[in-house]
Amino acid sequence: MMKKRVLALLMGTFLCASPVLAQQKTVTGKVTRDGAVPLSGVSVVLRGSTQGTQTNTNGDYSIRADVGQVVQFRLIGYVPIERTIGAENTIFVQLEKTASSLNAVVVTALGETTQRRNLGTSQQTVQGADIAQTGRENFINGLQGRVAGVEVISTSGVPGASSSITIRGVSSISGSNQPLMIIDGMPMDNKTLNSGALASDAPGSLTAFSNRGIDFSNRAIDINPEDIETLVVLKGPEAAALYGIDAGNGAIVITTKRGKPGTGGFEYSNRLRIDQTRGNPVVQNTYAPSGTTGDLLNAFSYFGAPYAAGTTFYDNVSGFFQTAQSQQHNLSFSGATQDSRINYRLALAANAQGSVIPESDLNRINLTGRTGAQVTRWLNADLSAQYSVLENDQALKGTNGPLIGLLLWPQTDDARDYLTPAGTRRRITVLASNSETDNPYFSVNKNRVNAKTSRLITNFGLTLTPVKWASLKTNIQSDGYTDEKLIVRHPESAGVPNDNNGILDNATDVVRNLTAQTLLTFNRKQLTKNISVSGLGGNQISDFRSNVSGLLGRDFLDPNFVSANNTNVRTNRTILTQRRLVSAYAQAVLNYHDYLYVTVTGRNDWTSTIPTERNSFFYPGVTSSFVFTDAFPTIGKFMTGKLRAAYAEVGNDARPYAYRPALEFKTTSNGGYGYGFTGPNLALRPEFATSYETGTELGFFDDRIGLDLTVYRKEKTDQIVNDIRGSYGTGFILFNLNGAATRNEGFEATLRATPIEQRGFSWDVLANFERARGTVLALPNALPESYVSDTWLYGNVRNGVQPGLSTRALTGLFYLRDTIAGSRKMLIDPTTGLPLRSTAFIDGGYDRQPDFTVGLTNTVRFRNLTMSALLDFRKGGDVFNATEHFLTSRGLSNRTLDRNTPRVIEGVLRDGRENTANPTPNNIVVVPAVQTGFYSGISEELFIEKDINWVRLRDVTVRYTLPGRYFKARDASMYITGTDLFVYSNYSGLDPIVNGNTAAVGGSGGAGIDFGNFPMPRGYAVGFKLGY
Amino acid sequence: MTSLTQRFARTPMKRALTALFVGALALPAGCEDFLDVNTNPNGPEKVTANLYLPPMLHALATTPQLDGRFIGRYTQQWYVPIAGAFTTWDRMGYDPSSDNGGQVWRDVYFVLGQNLVDMTELANAEERWDLLGVAYLLKAWGWQSATDIYGEIIVKEAIDQSKFSFNYDSQEYAYSEVQRLLNLAIENLKRTDGAVNAAYLGRTDKVYNGDRTKWLKLAYGMLALNLNHYTRKALYRPAEVIAAVNQSFTSNADDALLAYPGTQNDDINFLGRTRGNFNGYRQTRFVVGLMDGTVFEGAVDPRMSRMLSPAPDGVYRGLDINVANFGALTTTQQPNNFYGYALAGGLQLPGRYLWADKVRMPIMTYAQLQFIKAEAAYRLGDLATALSAYREGISSHIDFVNARNTDNAQSPLPITAAEKATFLANTAIVPAAASALSLTQIMSQKYIAQWAWGHSEIWMDMRRYNYTDIDPKSGMQVFPGFAPPTLLFPDNGGKIVHRIRPRFNSEYVWNRPGLDAIGGLALDYHTKPIWITQP
Repeated sequence: MMKKRVLALLMGTFLCASPVLAQQKTVTGKVTRDGAVPLSGVSVVLRGSTQGTQTNTNGDYSIRADVGQVVQFRLIGYVPIERTIGAENTIFVQLEKTASSLNAVVVTALGETTQRRNLGTSQQTVQGADIAQTGRENFINGLQGRVAGVEVISTSGVPGASSSITIRGVSSISGSNQPLMIIDGMPMDNKTLNSGALASDAPGSLTAFSNRGIDFSNRAIDINPEDIETLVVLKGPEAAALYGIDAGNGAIVITTKRGKPGTGGFEYSNRLRIDQTRGNPVVQNTYAPSGTTGDLLNAFSYFGAPYAAGTTFYDNVSGFFQTAQSQQHNLSFSGATQDSRINYRLALAANAQGSVIPESDLNRINLTGRTGAQVTRWLNADLSAQYSVLENDQALKGTNGPLIGLLLWPQTDDARDYLTPAGTRRRITVLASNSETDNPYFSVNKNRVNAKTSRLITNFGLTLTPVKWASLKTNIQSDGYTDEKLIVRHPESAGVPNDNNGILDNATDVVRNLTAQTLLTFNRKQLTKNISVSGLGGNQISDFRSNVSGLLGRDFLDPNFVSANNTNVRTNRTILTQRRLVSAYAQAVLNYHDYLYVTVTGRNDWTSTIPTERNSFFYPGVTSSFVFTDAFPTIGKFMTGKLRAAYAEVGNDARPYAYRPALEFKTTSNGGYGYGFTGPNLALRPEFATSYETGTELGFFDDRIGLDLTVYRKEKTDQIVNDIRGSYGTGFILFNLNGAATRNEGFEATLRATPIEQRGFSWDVLANFERARGTVLALPNALPESYVSDTWLYGNVRNGVQPGLSTRALTGLFYLRDTIAGSRKMLIDPTTGLPLRSTAFIDGGYDRQPDFTVGLTNTVRFRNLTMSALLDFRKGGDVFNATEHFLTSRGLSNRTLDRNTPRVIEGVLRDGRENTANPTPNNIVVVPAVQTGFYSGISEELFIEKDINWVRLRDVTVRYTLPGRYFKARDASMYITGTDLFVYSNYSGLDPIVNGNTAAVGGSGGAGIDFGNFPMPRGYAVGFKLGY
Repeated sequence: MTSLTQRFARTPMKRALTALFVGALALPAGCEDFLDVNTNPNGPEKVTANLYLPPMLHALATTPQLDGRFIGRYTQQWYVPIAGAFTTWDRMGYDPSSDNGGQVWRDVYFVLGQNLVDMTELANAEERWDLLGVAYLLKAWGWQSATDIYGEIIVKEAIDQSKFSFNYDSQEYAYSEVQRLLNLAIENLKRTDGAVNAAYLGRTDKVYNGDRTKWLKLAYGMLALNLNHYTRKALYRPAEVIAAVNQSFTSNADDALLAYPGTQNDDINFLGRTRGNFNGYRQTRFVVGLMDGTVFEGAVDPRMSRMLSPAPDGVYRGLDINVANFGALTTTQQPNNFYGYALAGGLQLPGRYLWADKVRMPIMTYAQLQFIKAEAAYRLGDLATALSAYREGISSHIDFVNARNTDNAQSPLPITAAEKATFLANTAIVPAAASALSLTQIMSQKYIAQWAWGHSEIWMDMRRYNYTDIDPKSGMQVFPGFAPPTLLFPDNGGKIVHRIRPRFNSEYVWNRPGLDAIGGLALDYHTKPIWITQP
């Protein structure tokens, strides 16, 4: 029904079009800056139309126009200029660098551009080149520190690791906190496949990964950073007002590169990189394993006698890591006709990424095309396509991953020798084969986590300009990919693989997302002399669909042959998910005197995932911008400045099939049907967020210093909490319930400065500061706690939230403490002298939210040399070092070296007087070496490291532009880039930026839970670029 | 607005723009069909009544085995030796903040739960009285199993998705509810009218293949079991127990057994070799003592070598639960695990007795009911009936052992008719005169007949006799050789265990007010005696 309607609409627009005839002539000219320097890439557009061109490398342009029409000359970073076509046939224009950034042209929602002065909310632009120069295969990883309020957490340092990105903190307790990705105006899938889609993760299965043991890439990795022209981060409410419910957590708006007249031709760039691991984990080599039976260890525990003098040690740990070699090649061919009626860009890129961990790598090929044509004066057509093929091999992570095996492996044994002469796993303990942790080499060589993805995003757009005061733009986009996963857990691999005699997972996720969007833009219309209005209206129809076909094979015949055909027991599972959205929206901008702007938006969404009677919801937004330095010219003599204020609401829906449970085929005896874990909630309704934001943008000294300050508050009420638990008395285990509330507040500041600007020498500074706070105000049905079960991945700590706590709190079975105000002394078991632990999950005052973060970019240009460095600072925020807890419980941590030192744990005995004024101080002496419970029962609480700070050199690039025409190139440069060269941190583990789960996990996820994760490696790259 | 439309009309694009406007206005109406994609395509919302049955029948046989890992340690059917220490359960404790011991809780409320409610409604509406009878029987089984393990449980308020805290009901109420439901089951299973259809029921009923009359017998058997728990109450009516047994199973052919297809993990016997759940478990000195002649005057039970596991040296030994790990036993003296191997053995090798992938797991057996009858008759003073039921119990259990050991081609050879006859003729086992029969004999042989599967009933028997009560007739303990562990779990406060705490992640996290009302938050709640075992 709806499809027909859209088609009719589109057909209508074609059929009804007819050319507008008027007197036309060709105008030519040149655009320059600083006197005579030609400016290329300046867009020369007839106001109120899409008709336009761009200047070539010499700054020349040519455009056909009617007398009386207004030509706009716009270039990002420059003050736009307008000229009315008169009698003359040539127009020369001199563009000034924006004296004020307020006049800079920026991309805003829905692919529109505007002057920054209009904006009532905070948004920040990042140049694609800045991200691309870091050479990171996942462009998300290049964003940390470049935008105030954006936090990127990569799961690990393995190629293809997922990265989660959050803007302004965590507000959803269980759902996604990731922003919407927009590419060329249309939504782009950035899903990280949840391991729950695998057949081995079927509810109740014992072979589940639960997003702990494996990681899949977030699909933004399919995009080649070299194809990105600009990337705009919409942080606040306006994103949702115009992009809809999926943008409730902000939006990242990507504009891909287009061909430009004059600058066309071939461009080739490459990058050769090596990566090395940054710091090795340290384990003690003083005490030997706890016991041996013959040549075999009794267990991987190291509480034995000291190693004999002269014992041979192997450097297993540092020997395991290798130097990774990677290369990238980018070739593009782009250009445009002189009058810009046709532009095109074709690009081919190959990216082969090595890893410091053996047997991991990532290979990607991107083929990108984008072309636009001014078909007639009133019709503009645009077609873009991004095709990518990606293959990724990763190591397992966590409990069964190679890092844990590497650390456990006795240093008196050469870990490289991982096979017996018969080619089977070489055993070195008397433990059952399923309990002997894998040798790390065995783990990476015999287990596989492989992904093959091919993706095609196509976007077809038509813009009609039938009248001077309005235009109609329609886009149809298809974002489709096939993502094939192959996971092999070798039959000899410890744990469940061994129990099942090998586990093989095949899963193919076929995703097909279709979106059609129609926008009617009303150009600025002068109502009175000083008041003008512009507006737009539009609708969007989306259909998101994913079909995961999974097959689980167990019990391998040939232990080393990889194929589902080689498995004795097979089960399959299909998960089809579909969600549809329909939206209508409108925006009006009132402009008073070009210094006061008020923007009003309204949007109505209809979603398929909420019961029909409540599936339609409207939400408004109002933003305003006041350029006070224009309103009061006396102030404007000294500075430029504007004040912003915004208010917006946004609704959000549930995940598909959330309110009425379906029966599941049961794999217990003789099949049959039964309900899944999640119970019904026919009263499910949309959740709402209300945001306020206010801020100011100031410029001083001809804008050589710029300051952007923002404070915001967002409250999410009636929040849907997925999979919240309750008594089984309900008949179910989980529910999707409304009723949670969270509040996010924060402060962001961006400081730009150009301390030095001389001919041939300049220095630019960009600092982004963020302080964000998220608090849980309420949980549904006054339940005491909510947590995402996947995060309960190590010991008894999980991302539990309780009212009053941070949205990124951790709860656990922490030490019991006295209840005397301000005392919090640990309670000690009077029989053992060891501390007592809670048997319920309690708050321990832990919060993974940093106090603040700062991203500092320094760019220095000296003649042909440019150096740019991004430093990332963080203050505060807790990290759970689970790896260290694990090593301590096994006697491997250096902190167990004083095991023979008697000590009295500070606290009071639980003898009935612990909560009185005269408690009994603990006086029981404990010697950990003797009392095994000291380490084996040690609380994870002691390993949650409080207030972790860091200074991290995210990336640094030195670029040298070759003078003259080297290799006859129009443009030639060489560069050296370093990534993650150093981290100074008070964190005792390898890297505090890790995720114990993956980006697929909702809520605050497993970020800040470090268990068996490899750190980001240190990379050095060299490359050159040639343009012809 | 009018002027705006008029302006549109003047442009060459009027039709297109009008189309857009009309389209935008018409959107909400057309949305309904377009948005109607929220019916989960991965599973149906309702199915035909009998399709709900298999997971519940699986639970009927399998769920008790999961909690049996723990109850089996309270009742000293087995022991988990670990170096230098004792497991919490071997010390009559529990695992704090763990769901261990909460499987019955989970499956009664979740696997039966709403599924059983839906099946009951459908069967009732479609007049499928046989299926409805099975539904009532399942409901009764759920409350019986749960209350016997946990004591107070949620009955009246259960299976209600609008509630988020639940009040507990007394065990007395739970028991009467079980009787009410079993009477409803009996009433419906007797019916042959309506849509009663053995083929329809048999399509998914892999216990009795749709045979209504056998379900009827099972309902009587469950009623007998329930009524026989009242031995310490003034209400105890042994004659009613005997009457119920007489209407239930008449031979081993009536045994309620579930066959495991064994095609994937979840449909393999939980005790099966492939599942490997019992690799670390070993038989206790107590159970070996009942069968190797220690207790019964040198009468070596032929079932011992078919049920229990020898050490590599061929001798049947049980572990002392008060000695850590294997104590002084050398490697060849340490009993094998129940699969018959010293370590986790290869998957394709045969298992023993109930420790085989495709064994038919009992839900209730003829032998078990004969012992219930024997105890009731003994208490009624009808010693002749008691003796004959007792003898029948042992005899039929020997047949049962032989049958089970051939279900999946296990390694033990069958007990020969001669061995059986010799054993039954031994007066230390079966006294010649009815007057010589003792409770010690009845309850010990019942323990053997239920060993490894009838966990809840074994534990109920032990709790009814305070674990260590003396039978005046024999002058021995009712369960001779049984002694609680010397090192009890710290939270017990020196008391022995009487119940398992309700499932942690259901109740101790999400229903604390409900627990508080029954004293469930106390550290020693698991030592609080249950109502039915108190006078």
